[in-house]
Amino acid sequence: MIISYNWLKDLVEVNLSPQELANELTKVGLAVEGVHQANDDFVFDIDLTSNRSDCLSHLGVAREIRAITNYELLITNHKDQKPKTEDQNVVTIQDADLCHRFTARIIRNVRIAPSPDWLKKRLEAIGERTINNVADISNYVMHELGQPMHAFDFNKLAENRIVIRRARNGETIKTLDEARRKLNDTMLAICDAEKPVAVAGVMGGFDSGITEETTNVLLEVAYFKRENIRQTSRKLNLTTEASYRFERGVDIENLIRASNRATELICELANGEAGEFVDVYPTKFVPNKIQSKDIQFAVKRLTGLDVEKNEILRILNALGIQSKSETIYLSPSWRHDLAIEEDLVEEVARIYGYDKIAEELPPSVNAGEYQPNEMRKLHLRQTLANLGFDEAINYSFIDTHSDEKFELIPDFVHENLDEKFISLKDSIIEGATRMRPSLLSGLLDAVRTNFNHRRRDIKLFELGKVFSASDKENDLPEEKELFALVVTGSETLQNKAMPLREYDFYDAKGALESAANALNIPALEFKTKDVKHLRKGQSAAVLFNGKQIGAIGRLTDEITSAYKFKQPVFVAEINLQVLLEAKEQEVLYKPLPVFPSIVRDVSLLANRSVNFADIKQAIEAENFELLRKVGFVDVYEGEGMMNNERSITIRLEYRSNERTLLEEEVEKIHARILQNIESKLDVKQRL
Amino acid sequence: MIEQKRQVEKIREAFNQEFGRFNNLNTQNLSLSEAETLQKELGEIRIKHTGKKSEISGLNKFIGQVAPEERAEFGKLIQSLSSEVSRAIEKAELALKTFIENIKIEREKLDVTLPGNRPRVGHLHPITLLRQKIEDIFVSLGYAIEDDREIETDYYNFDALNIPEGHPARESQDTFYATHGFALRSQTSTVQIRAMERRGVPIRIIAPGRVFRRDTPDLTHTPMFHQIEGLCVDKGITMAHLKGTVAEWLRRLFGKETRIRLRPSYFPFTEPSAEFDFSCFKCGGTGEFEHERCRPCKGSGWIELGGSGMVHPNVLRACNVDPQVYSGFAFGFGLERMCALMYSLDDIRLMFENDVRFLEQFR
Ligand SMILES: [Zn+2]
Repeated sequence: MIISYNWLKDLVEVNLSPQELANELTKVGLAVEGVHQANDDFVFDIDLTSNRSDCLSHLGVAREIRAITNYELLITNHKDQKPKTEDQNVVTIQDADLCHRFTARIIRNVRIAPSPDWLKKRLEAIGERTINNVADISNYVMHELGQPMHAFDFNKLAENRIVIRRARNGETIKTLDEARRKLNDTMLAICDAEKPVAVAGVMGGFDSGITEETTNVLLEVAYFKRENIRQTSRKLNLTTEASYRFERGVDIENLIRASNRATELICELANGEAGEFVDVYPTKFVPNKIQSKDIQFAVKRLTGLDVEKNEILRILNALGIQSKSETIYLSPSWRHDLAIEEDLVEEVARIYGYDKIAEELPPSVNAGEYQPNEMRKLHLRQTLANLGFDEAINYSFIDTHSDEKFELIPDFVHENLDEKFISLKDSIIEGATRMRPSLLSGLLDAVRTNFNHRRRDIKLFELGKVFSASDKENDLPEEKELFALVVTGSETLQNKAMPLREYDFYDAKGALESAANALNIPALEFKTKDVKHLRKGQSAAVLFNGKQIGAIGRLTDEITSAYKFKQPVFVAEINLQVLLEAKEQEVLYKPLPVFPSIVRDVSLLANRSVNFADIKQAIEAENFELLRKVGFVDVYEGEGMMNNERSITIRLEYRSNERTLLEEEVEKIHARILQNIESKLDVKQRL
Repeated sequence: MIEQKRQVEKIREAFNQEFGRFNNLNTQNLSLSEAETLQKELGEIRIKHTGKKSEISGLNKFIGQVAPEERAEFGKLIQSLSSEVSRAIEKAELALKTFIENIKIEREKLDVTLPGNRPRVGHLHPITLLRQKIEDIFVSLGYAIEDDREIETDYYNFDALNIPEGHPARESQDTFYATHGFALRSQTSTVQIRAMERRGVPIRIIAPGRVFRRDTPDLTHTPMFHQIEGLCVDKGITMAHLKGTVAEWLRRLFGKETRIRLRPSYFPFTEPSAEFDFSCFKCGGTGEFEHERCRPCKGSGWIELGGSGMVHPNVLRACNVDPQVYSGFAFGFGLERMCALMYSLDDIRLMFENDVRFLEQFR
């Protein structure tokens, strides 16, 4: 909203400099974003909150100044004419529920011409275009008094009369912007005897508008139901200065003044002769009765301010809020935002000054607390960061290209539903059509972003929610918190260009294990499993307490090439919620071993179908005495091996809690263990 | 004794001959390997000419052949030869040793300016870092952290927040709607309602979380961002408590000198309502930094951070709280905007691009 300093001074005494005034207005809630010089004037750019439609005019701002400075408004004596309220045949309101008041003024022998310089200057100062004297005057009065109005070419109205009614379905009108618009019976139309000549409160019709040939004018100044104007404006996708004001609310009691002001100016500047003046007012203004048992106490209770009763009443009165009795206050016709005692408290506090409110801390009642799992999640994040992972945050919405691309975490999507996922309705934002059911597409987009910047060694993780439709009707969608990571490229040291080694599956797995460890829960298990988005033979199900909670592995070539990745990419995604629901493990001290252990490394030539876990479990299942640990040393595959073979070296650790072991006794058990696994599994000791 | 003296001289001569090249040894033009060879040879000379089995030690057996009155003199003669030889060898040894050590030190000298061996550590997202800082402050002020659903019913996103059907805020175009008419929460105020329903009053919570608006991404807008919402409801809570609380946490974040101001505003879920600004952390509120217009506050000295106010009685009633008995304040602000201010970031879309070059700048 642009407001002129000089214009304000026509309406209220101002003894503040433009900058001082700007500060004062900002303090009471009319945020002045800028003060600019415009020739001999200054203009304020005011950012109004949506409830203050009363300030969409110079009069409105002048009223605020009155409340701030206590100077009275300057009332100019207009040659006001009383309108006729009955015995007229110019205006008929058929739908009084949508048109609360309508005034029409006929002005004859008008000479349409450019506006005089002073008027042009005023309008140009506040950034308005000038057209011709009559159009400029109605615009001028709107900016002065806040009341939109519309001038018809009276001669072009069929039967020279106005009917205000709901449009009929199928009726059309060519509006001033020369667009043909389809109306329907939810919209209010201003019609002549035959057809709509304006969309009420939104825009006038082209054919009945003022032209250079116009001589007789019918000036409409009216009040329409706010909600209806808003709906019509939305439906027609048409917002005008008029609709903007009508839908927020104008002053129904100010119509006559506005009409008189415009008429006066048209007579003066366009040579018009004021004719009939009609006022049809079927829905009389009733002020809101606001109850307040003790306004002074209410102000104190909500703001902590001690304001004297006299000052409170002065402020309310200056704002046009009358105290009808000790406990009842009446809101003025230009305010649509005052209904309850708290509203009055705000009025008093903002004029009295928010800056006078003290700074106090509320008395403390409770100890603070984090969310139940917040510290564990932070620990997980920190652990991943220490491992070289950067934390990603991706949009919760994605496009539909990733649908069916990734295997989602188990027991999340209800496959029997027609609409398994959550879609966004007419999103308008590119790529925001689907609430993500997986974090992977976002992470892979991030990898691509980094590749585009020639960053090829990437480790990213994300914690975030995914969404799917509920299988119960009318239930809110499922929201689950997941943890996902992506690893690709090579390990490098900080500030050293030479890579140490290429990342592989086990880097992703290690990170996942570290994450579980950071949460202080039992270890995750990994089982070979084919997964849709993962390369066969390099993918695994991730299990917790025996149940699958996600998957890990290397992306299929199909996906990597779709993303134009030219190097292996490893991903993992798991249900974090399941892990967070698990109890933290208790820490119990175990006495340190007193006697030394004896360690034996064994290389086994194994069929590739035999996993390390198979060997470990086979040995552990037998509970061999003195055997404390089955560990992994390394794997060798390639030269000297058959295609289906590899060599796997394990470490067996023996120890007694009673004595130092002798080589011979270990040798005996060791031989038995080897014999045992060779008999159970397709493995042979390599000598 | 003449014969014996001659023996001494003979040994001296023999030593001098062998030792000759070590006399006044000039190490300057030696290579390391030459020096090491010399060191080895010198070691052999030492073994040969000192110690119990050396020829010099062997002279002692002539003492018996010398006349008793000359024995002392002869002894001294042997002694002086022995120490002369030792001194000469030691001197040469020291010269060689020093030379070799110096060469080795020179050769093994490190370039201490090369980068240390440091595994590359990752970085938490700046939103996580800032959120954590703010949460810590509020927990220490006695607040509980809360979060809740991101997809909500109209009731929690609007009705309970005093935005009834037909309200302009509800019809505004910036709410995302999903399948079955659910809304992506457009503010974290939804958590206020759910938390009050769950916990009842008195209550002190802050709710950080994602919110969604149908804004096309540009330098200062993203369709998703993070908000922190604060709520305090109790008997006797006033706007002074709101002002004090906002001032307290901003001071803990930006320093003791931080001042705050409230400006009247409008939100459907608060009455009275206020926007809160704080004095610029960069210029201290002067609007000028290093003789130029201060960037974060655009020269105004104030930074507009968020909205606040006293919880609207309709919101309290929606949570079965009697507004005659209880009152409370609420405030909310955007984390991306705050991050952008703190780090002079001019394009907040970077927050969600996950460009590692961006992420690794934050600690
Ligand atoms: Zn500044």
